[in-house]
Amino acid sequence: MAPQKNDVLHGTLAMLVLKTLAVNGPMHGYAITNHIQRASADLLRVEEGSLYPALHRMEQLGWLRSEWGMTEKNREARFYSITRLGRKQLALEEENWARLTEGVARVLGYA
Amino acid sequence: MLQGVIAWLRRVWTSLLPGRVERDIERELSFHLAERADDLRAAGLSEGEAKRRARARFGNPAFQAERTRDVHVVHWLDTFMRDLRYAVRSLIRRPGFTLTVVLTLALAIGANAAVFSVLDAVILRPLPFPAADRLVSVSEVNERTTSTGVPPARLEDWRRLNTTLEAIDGYYVEDLSETSGDLPERVRRAVVTPGFLDVWGIRPVRGRGFTEAEYRFGGPRAVIISERYWQRRFGGAPDILERTVRIGTASIPIVGVMPADFRFPDREVDLWMPIPVDAPYAQDRQSPWYTVVGRLKPGVTVARAREDLAAVQAQLGEQYPETDRDIGIEVVPLKETAVGAVGQSLWLLFGAVTVLLLIACTNIAALLLSRGAHRREELAVRQSLGASRTAVAAQLLTETGVLALAGGVLGIAIAAAASGALRAAGANLPRFDEVTVGGRALLYTLASVVAVTLLCGLLPAVRAAGGLAALRGGAARAQVSTRSPLQWLLVGAQVALSVTLLAGAGLLVRSFHELSRVDPGFDPKDVLTFRVSGSWGETANYAAVMQRIDATIDALASLPGVEAAATSGWEVPGVPTQWHTTYELLEASTNSRPIIAEGRAVSAEYFRTMRIPVLAGELCRRAPPPSGSEPPVYEIMVNRAFVNRYLADRPSPIGLHLREMEGPIPASRIVGVVGDARERGLDREPGPTVYWCMSAPSPMPYFVVRARGDLGAVAQSVRMLMKDIEPLRSVYEVAPLEERIGDAFKENRLRMLLLAVFATAALSLACVGLYGTLSYAISVRRREVGLRLALGAPRHGIVGHFLARVAWVVGPACALGIALSLASSRLLSGMLYGVSPSGPATLLGVVGLVLAVATLAVLVPATRAALLEPTQVLRDQ
Repeated sequence: MAPQKNDVLHGTLAMLVLKTLAVNGPMHGYAITNHIQRASADLLRVEEGSLYPALHRMEQLGWLRSEWGMTEKNREARFYSITRLGRKQLALEEENWARLTEGVARVLGYA
Repeated sequence: MLQGVIAWLRRVWTSLLPGRVERDIERELSFHLAERADDLRAAGLSEGEAKRRARARFGNPAFQAERTRDVHVVHWLDTFMRDLRYAVRSLIRRPGFTLTVVLTLALAIGANAAVFSVLDAVILRPLPFPAADRLVSVSEVNERTTSTGVPPARLEDWRRLNTTLEAIDGYYVEDLSETSGDLPERVRRAVVTPGFLDVWGIRPVRGRGFTEAEYRFGGPRAVIISERYWQRRFGGAPDILERTVRIGTASIPIVGVMPADFRFPDREVDLWMPIPVDAPYAQDRQSPWYTVVGRLKPGVTVARAREDLAAVQAQLGEQYPETDRDIGIEVVPLKETAVGAVGQSLWLLFGAVTVLLLIACTNIAALLLSRGAHRREELAVRQSLGASRTAVAAQLLTETGVLALAGGVLGIAIAAAASGALRAAGANLPRFDEVTVGGRALLYTLASVVAVTLLCGLLPAVRAAGGLAALRGGAARAQVSTRSPLQWLLVGAQVALSVTLLAGAGLLVRSFHELSRVDPGFDPKDVLTFRVSGSWGETANYAAVMQRIDATIDALASLPGVEAAATSGWEVPGVPTQWHTTYELLEASTNSRPIIAEGRAVSAEYFRTMRIPVLAGELCRRAPPPSGSEPPVYEIMVNRAFVNRYLADRPSPIGLHLREMEGPIPASRIVGVVGDARERGLDREPGPTVYWCMSAPSPMPYFVVRARGDLGAVAQSVRMLMKDIEPLRSVYEVAPLEERIGDAFKENRLRMLLLAVFATAALSLACVGLYGTLSYAISVRRREVGLRLALGAPRHGIVGHFLARVAWVVGPACALGIALSLASSRLLSGMLYGVSPSGPATLLGVVGLVLAVATLAVLVPATRAALLEPTQVLRDQ
């Protein structure tokens, strides 16, 4: 389960993807990209391609599940959905994030 | 945990066959790009613009696809598969190079695998019996004779009294006539003691072993036959256990059939019959009937068994002081006795073929080194694109690995094909019929392939991954001086090893030649040998046996075309055997030395038949058949070596009396002296020999017949004659004497031939290496040669220059080869006759041959260099 060197996984991307799927149910990679951009009011713009290594890695780790399906426009796409393990990981990461931001805020508050 | 393993396995699978995963990723990513392009078009952009912008926002699709793919594979395996595919592609692009290397390796690895499979079958594999490592051969060590056979009563005492053997069996083998058919057919019978099946541990495929009653005197008769005999004589009839075998006048019921691969004691045995151990004639404590085999109890060592049996024998020595005193025991693992001296030859051949493989590897390494030079630019580009030196080296090593594997696979095929030929060539040598290319040979080949890959490929791979320096133009010139010495070194090693192999082969060839020139002391040409079946039971009436044999000799002598006929006793002259005995000279003074000499039992006509000259005294006469219970009176001839060794101090040996110390024959008179003959084997000096003029030492002696004309026709008339005078006996082992003597040296000849083949192959490879290396060196220095010629150097000077260059390598290499040959001379010492391993003649001859061939090999490129047109060369540059 150790994160790999060149991955964005160690950052927040995983948490954002997990949250997106937990809230909105199964989505394909394009939809996930758009959702993150919209939901963050365009503050977060991921290099779109780098999403995919992360998605596949998360699926390997068991946080996501995927299956091929059809979109409304009748195109074949791969849909990802969150697993129970993924939800646990999301809870863990949200907690870590909360602790991190609080800690940083306190330090900045002292400055 | 299990899930982790499954996931890993799935990643391995994807590394091997990445197609599907790659396609899925492709689909997924193109979907994203298509959607983005659609949305951008909906926002008003043109199609081309939309696509461009979509791609720009995405990032580099190929890069992301690869990163995604990396998630699914095991990294090193993936890299390896990629290297493998690239290696195969680039090898297919260079068919000439690939084919040369693969063929060379196939031959070298194939030869290795073939020799190894013989080694495996004969020496390494255990004998084909359950727990075969517990089988031992037990023999007597009797100082007074060289007989190692065990008398029947003693064997039974051993069986009762020992504590270390699970089972013990004695046997002897004889050839008889089976008379249930129209013609008497010769069968080979092994007479066995209780313990027969227990020792070998093999069950019959049909029927049963012998019961206790069958081992008793007067008990029911029974015979077990071999599966081969079942097929041959009875056509595999299913009611075999109701049939009988007819020996003499008795019909003996068949009670069992042994499996086809049960080949003890002898490959040719057809029948096994029990000996009645309580029979009156089986209480003998002196006649060395049996060869004895035992099975150790589990956990007992050979040394322990030897001690135990020695103690038992000592006890028996007290009990029977006349017959059992001072008899030692030898216990040896059975495999050692079965394999014999062939082992040494095999190890020698194995060494030779390994050397051959080394030479092939150095050749290929040199080839790869020079290939590496041509690819410098390609590899440098790869490195500049980000490949590490290790990655490049690994890729080159993979290429070598593919070559080695291809060579290995082809080599195994060659070895499998050759194993049939080897089985035929070594037909009578021990265990040769078990030679196959089996699992162990495959493993050995695999190991060779790995070794070859490393040997050939490691150095060139490391060298070629040299770095970006090569990209700078003209670097090729600068690199020559660092690379050439290495290649010359490799070639020098090849020449040295070839010299060593050639020296070995040369010695064996000369030895064989010497052997064929030796004067045997008798005339083996135009002599037919054969045997007529008889059985040991006939010895009950010895007079009848003598009369029969003498009558046979007379009848043979009167056949048209036959010059002389005789019997030669236990063996045929010229085939290596050994039998010496201690004699006592009746007229000896008290403290004269013991007389040890070889004893032979031959009929009076023997010397005339074999053309052994009588040097003094007169020829012995045929012994008259004995009357009553008196033993027959024999006359003796001795040879010159005997006289020189033991009777030199007497005026004449004629009239002296000799007696066998351990034998039943009373003292006999010496009547004449004959010339020395190498009857014990052509490679042995004739030793002191005593000839007993007895025509029938056994009921089935060897007959020797000297005849004019075609020996095949003579054999026919012999058979017809025997059919007339002895219709119930069969004639067998018919062969010209020269053929039998030749057969005895079959192993010798095979070994010499194989070593010569390997040495020639080695020399050829070395020459190819010389040629290649010099051609390459010259091609690199074309400009220099052109300059020299332009400046007025004479053409023969150029040739001389390169020849000198080569001589600097070949000269020391030959010296090294000679040194290696001398160092390993001990390996050959037991196999040579008439030549010494350090004899200068052979070594100088070999060096001369190598120098001559090497000169030829380099003359072509050197002359080509000398014939260059200087203007052409300079313009090309």
